[in-house]
Amino acid sequence: MYATSMSRNAEVPVFNQIEEVRTKLGLSRQELADMVGVHYQTIGYLERGEYSPSLVLALRISEAVNKPVSELFSLTDPKKGKK
Amino acid sequence: MSKKNKIYWSLGVTEKGTRALLTDENSKFKWLRFQRNRRILVVLELLGLVLLALGSFYTSMTSSLNLSEATEVIVFSLAAILVIMLTLGAYSFLRIAVRGIADAPNELLDERQIQIRDSSYRHAYLAMGYLILGIFLVMFFGPDLRLFEPEANDGSYMLIAALFAFASLPSIFIAWREKDI
Repeated sequence: MYATSMSRNAEVPVFNQIEEVRTKLGLSRQELADMVGVHYQTIGYLERGEYSPSLVLALRISEAVNKPVSELFSLTDPKKGKK
Repeated sequence: MSKKNKIYWSLGVTEKGTRALLTDENSKFKWLRFQRNRRILVVLELLGLVLLALGSFYTSMTSSLNLSEATEVIVFSLAAILVIMLTLGAYSFLRIAVRGIADAPNELLDERQIQIRDSSYRHAYLAMGYLILGIFLVMFFGPDLRLFEPEANDGSYMLIAALFAFASLPSIFIAWREKDI
């Protein structure tokens, strides 16, 4: 449970490794988008960190690239190692 | 996709038409993928709406210009055609630019598109609220515009512009906010 003073709508950035994993697998944005059922533009938004996916979409992406959700998404920047 | 072209009556769109817009099938409109071009379209659409609303003051404007009756008709007709073409043209391109997201049903959109569509409607609703408030303030506290009096100005153009703004504002907000595609 979170503290009562915490805003329900506070925007917490969600970092992800989608672009790195997708590139390693040799998938285009369009191909990944088709696999998870979204528009290719949405994959771009996700990769740039401009959109945080729903749990369902995060699970679909993790299934599509065969990586656990915890490896793909995090609340800390994996490049900087800080929040 | 089913072979039958489903019609969404309440939204005024068809499944095939919406899918065609969403999937960028038409390569003629690649220039609309750039945010800067879409923003120019937004400015043109807003300009068209303002000019359309100004049509309500046709009587005041022509009486101050002292034109002959024939010239008045020609000038006003040409101006009206240009303004209508500008407004309708910008609106049509705006819809293509935002891939018809504003009018598309949930089942044809992904979660981010649904989110941006819904927040754009919220912004449009707020903008119209402020616009109506502004019009009321001008009507009650501003100069007498004589909008709905016989032999005076014709307020119907302002109403048409307001209705058109209602229809186009969600697309305007989406076009302004979406990044380069």
